This record gives sequence, structure tokens and C-alpha cells, in this order.
Amino acid sequence: MKTRIKELRKERKLSQEELALAVGTTRQTITSIEVGKYTASLVLAYKIAYYFGLTIEEVFDFSEENEF
Amino acid sequence: MEKFRTKVKQRIAISSGMALVTVVLGAFSIYSIIFSDHSTATLSDGFVAGFQFGLIISIFGFSLFDIVKLSLAINDETKLTILYNKENDERMKTIRSKAGMPLIAITSVLMIIAAIVAGYFNIVVFYTLVSAVAAQLSVSAVVKLYCLKTM
Repeated sequence: MKTRIKELRKERKLSQEELALAVGTTRQTITSIEVGKYTASLVLAYKIAYYFGLTIEEVFDFSEENEF
Repeated sequence: MEKFRTKVKQRIAISSGMALVTVVLGAFSIYSIIFSDHSTATLSDGFVAGFQFGLIISIFGFSLFDIVKLSLAINDETKLTILYNKENDERMKTIRSKAGMPLIAITSVLMIIAAIVAGYFNIVVFYTLVSAVAAQLSVSAVVKLYCLKTM
């Protein structure tokens, strides 16, 4: 799944480690989500979006998931 | 986080207990090796005793490592949070579950205990159980490595 996490992190000059610490996960998980290897759970997606002050849809791209 | 801090303190106490038990068992093993009757001992007796001693040393090493790691974390709020996040990370939980944890770990410990007991009666059973443990742990490790790469 495509996400805007990397872009949002860069805007806020935030490292993966800092974001991971803030949302209660590990740096490796943030890396995996950013490169699209791992799809975050609803809870983690909400925490990340809430941290950036955005909605889940604004951070995560669901367009590919809607294709049947 | 206070709950986790208490849990970490309990784990330090358990690891300290384990280290103490392994020191006593290790001393007993060394005593038995030095003062046992070597004239009647077979090669397999030596192997089982060596395996036990190796296991005791490994448990002692892991306990010490755990004590140092947890003691460092308990005195530093950031390290404690990182440890909490690492243990409760959803991706790692998924990977662990795909690798068969904690069931593989539980069955491995039970099989090792069974192997040590069986080793006193039949060395073939001992070798079979130890090989089975090695095989299941290897499969679990390979699956975990694969998942770490792909997830």
C-alpha cells in the first residue's frame, strides 16, 4: 500500500526512530510501511494519521485496495 | 508504562534466579565430572553430560544478558519505551506468530527436558529428540528470516 508517511516525515524533519517512538512501534515497522512491504493495522494507521493531524485516507492511499 | 516497568522488574528477578540456579547446577556438573568413576563411563554418558553442561552455560549466558539489558532499560525512560514498543510491535507479533512462536519454543523446551531424561536410559532417543528440536527451531528461524525480509 502506498503511503505519504515519508513525505510527511520529511516536511516535519522527523526521523523514522522519532516517529516510531511517538506512535508506539519500531523503526523497522515504519520502514516496512513506507516501502509498502507491510500494511499497518487500523490502530497503527490511526495513530500515525493522528500524529500528523490528518485523516487515515490522507496518509494512506487506498485507491489500489478498491480494485476488485 | 508503570505496569511494564513492574513486569521488567519481575523479569530481572526471574533471570537472576535462573542465573543462580545455573551456577549451582554448573558447579554440581563440574563436581560430578571431576569426582565421577570414569572407568565405567561410556562415550554416550560423556556426551549427555557435555550437552547438559553446555545447556547450563547457555542458560547462564542468556540470563546474564537479559539482566544487563533489562537493568539498562529500567533506568532509562527512552530505552524502556523502545523495549516496550519492540515487544508489542504489531509487525513483529505477526512475524513471530508466522514462525510458530510461542508454541515452537514451548515444545522445544519440553523436548529438551525429555531428551535429557531419556538420555540416561536410551541414547538413541536422546539424539532423536535433540535432532527434532534442532530441525523445528531451524525451520522456525528460516520462516522468521523470510518474513523479516518480505514484511
